[in-house]
Amino acid sequence: MTNKSQTTSLATDNFLRIFKAVAILGAITWLGFFVYGNATNPDSNSPFKLGLDLAGGAQLVYEADISKIDPVEIPALMNVLRDVIEQRINIFGVSEPVVYLQSSSFVSDERSERLVVELPGVTDVAQAVAEIGRTPLLEFKLLDRQVAAAQEQVLALQASATGTGALLSNVQIDGELVDDMNPYTDTGLTGRYLESAQLEFAGNQGGQLSNEPVVSITFDSEGAELFTQITRNNVGEQLAIFLDGELLSAPRINEAISGGTAIISGGFDPKEARLLAQNLSFGALPVPIELLSTQTVGATLGQEVLDKGMEAAVFGFGLVLLFMIFWYRLPGVVATIALLSYVAIILALFQFIPVVLTAAGLAGFVLSLGMAVDANVLVFERMKEEIRSGKGSRVAAVEGFNRAWGAIRDGNITSLLSAIILFWFGTSMVKGFALVFGIGILISMFSALFISRSLLEALPDVKKEDSPFWSFLFGSGLLK
Amino acid sequence: MFVIRYRKFFVLFALALIVGSIAIISFFGLRLGIDFAGGSLTEVVYNTTLPDKSFLESEITNLDIGNFTVRESQDEVGRDGFLVRTRSLTESERETLTAAAVSIGEGGEVTRFTSIGPVIGQELRDKSVWAITGVALIIVLYVAFAFAGIGKPVSSWVYGGITILILIHDVLLPAAIISILGVVAGVEIDVLFVMAILAVLGYSVNDTIVVFDRVRENLIQNRTEKKIKTNVAGVVNEEIEYTLTKPFEEIVGSAVTQTIARSINTSLTTLVTLTALYFIGGSVTQTFALVLIVGVLAGTYSSIAMASPLLITYAKWQAGREVKK
Repeated sequence: MTNKSQTTSLATDNFLRIFKAVAILGAITWLGFFVYGNATNPDSNSPFKLGLDLAGGAQLVYEADISKIDPVEIPALMNVLRDVIEQRINIFGVSEPVVYLQSSSFVSDERSERLVVELPGVTDVAQAVAEIGRTPLLEFKLLDRQVAAAQEQVLALQASATGTGALLSNVQIDGELVDDMNPYTDTGLTGRYLESAQLEFAGNQGGQLSNEPVVSITFDSEGAELFTQITRNNVGEQLAIFLDGELLSAPRINEAISGGTAIISGGFDPKEARLLAQNLSFGALPVPIELLSTQTVGATLGQEVLDKGMEAAVFGFGLVLLFMIFWYRLPGVVATIALLSYVAIILALFQFIPVVLTAAGLAGFVLSLGMAVDANVLVFERMKEEIRSGKGSRVAAVEGFNRAWGAIRDGNITSLLSAIILFWFGTSMVKGFALVFGIGILISMFSALFISRSLLEALPDVKKEDSPFWSFLFGSGLLK
Repeated sequence: MFVIRYRKFFVLFALALIVGSIAIISFFGLRLGIDFAGGSLTEVVYNTTLPDKSFLESEITNLDIGNFTVRESQDEVGRDGFLVRTRSLTESERETLTAAAVSIGEGGEVTRFTSIGPVIGQELRDKSVWAITGVALIIVLYVAFAFAGIGKPVSSWVYGGITILILIHDVLLPAAIISILGVVAGVEIDVLFVMAILAVLGYSVNDTIVVFDRVRENLIQNRTEKKIKTNVAGVVNEEIEYTLTKPFEEIVGSAVTQTIARSINTSLTTLVTLTALYFIGGSVTQTFALVLIVGVLAGTYSSIAMASPLLITYAKWQAGREVKK
């Protein structure tokens, strides 16, 4: 190799090193702004997800009583349970409620199935608890056609004669306001008398081809008797069917119906009909549930915990960076950049996985900020030894990374194994912590082994005796 | 290296700490929070001056919900209030308790309510024990595996064993502090405490491994190989025998010297963030930070002043035994 080609390849090599370093700096800066934008923009698609202890709200944990259920059916029934509870919570009007199932881990002796309901922003759980524990109410009521017709007429008149509406609000029958009259009279027949309910498709009825999904219900013997009696006494009338106080349908009674079965139709789609059938046939819920634990955190409290945690993170992190720059000088600056990228990458992952941030997770994150420098410190200490032995700074950097690798690897693998075990055994709270911990380990390794390394290798190659200024920059501690 | 020279002192000091911690924990015990014991915790705060504690106590006695304790506390914003711990409450009991607690002072507000049934408490206890045992087990296996082939004079299982002893030391110290604080200030252990302990485990192992890794490297650098061929029934076996060119003590001693700056610097940065968390962070994570601060201090001490001295003590003991044979 001639001398000339050696210098050219050295120049290209240097250019490539610097290009790589600049590319990394650019990418990290971009990521930082991106994360910041996501966090501050309220309309962002992937903001930070805050756990209930930070956002404020309530968490209810229910245990499902599966003692009387065939184990094969459990998963399906638990899914139905979740759907039903989800619907009830939605009626309740909480923004972004979360309902999920939790099966017992293999550690516990007994199999248990749990349902967790999270209600962000709700601190008074009384109403929610009542709503969740509610039995869907199926009622059969007779329609008083006279009243209904009168009300309809009044409504029609009011609609056609706007402006004179005030006069029409006083229409009376037998001295009673039509508006106040209830056209439906209770029959005493309710879902309590149900024996089973199932999804059917109404076939070829009345010459019409229809495939409307309906729910066919079967009464128990008492209910059947009541139903026969009602239908016998009210032939020609309309029997209205209500679910949770909402009118589903009001079919006409054509004849006395004995045998104790009836069809509920109400323009369902198949999914709704199946759900209703399931709801009804299992009475209240597919599986009886019992409230195991409740937790509520006030919204201001959560915000305060979050603010203080962030403050601690920023303050602690700032001190760590100052220490690194003070002690390790130029490599310390490199470590600072690597740590800033560590934070940017971690926060980006929190946003995109997404990781639900809890007080515990936040504490784990703050802890990881202190520990993430470890790989850098290990490398820098090795570098120092190599420089002392007379090597150039670049060779020393490469050697430092190679020699510190064993310790970095073994230390991080044990930590990673711990994180996996935690994730495996843990309850949801521990899982969050384990996830933050595990991600932190991987990213801190990446930031030290890739980012720090690329940046260090882009720095000029100097020897101890070459320049006192550069050798000061590569020195460390209180020494000159 | 001074820790090697005065190793008896350092090891005995560490052992004294272990024994002392065990004594403290078994004497005072750890106060189980509701996470583990089951029960309900209600935090109520007031806008104006704190009402008399006895008002609240008599109100709660009237509710007839069993045994309870009332502690004065402060919420994150700095408002004064009480923490009421009772047995696990039903929904209606929660409502009556809330009403009673809010009624005794002006601007009363329940900021936090947690109720944990006995089932979950038991389960969390089991899981915590499993998690800690599992992590410790995996660590000793990994260390024994990673250092396999380190060979003479000390087998890799000894490195694993010492790591575990150090783990016990590092975990017992913070636990003892919390035990004392339990008596003095009513501090209870909860799931966060277990997480802190697990984090201490991770930190401690990492610290110890760095030292052992350096010992391994120095051992490899300071030994000579001799191949021994044996011919057993026509099959040639080749064995490599290593001889150390320096005394084991010296090799281990230089490993400590080479890693001490790293041990101190990493623990410094970790302590800095933890101290910030303790003083600035919310009160929810204060105990967590404290456990870790004590744990990191213990971990740094043990990795410098326990790991290598124990290694040498064991090597000497082993050598002495071999001579006797």
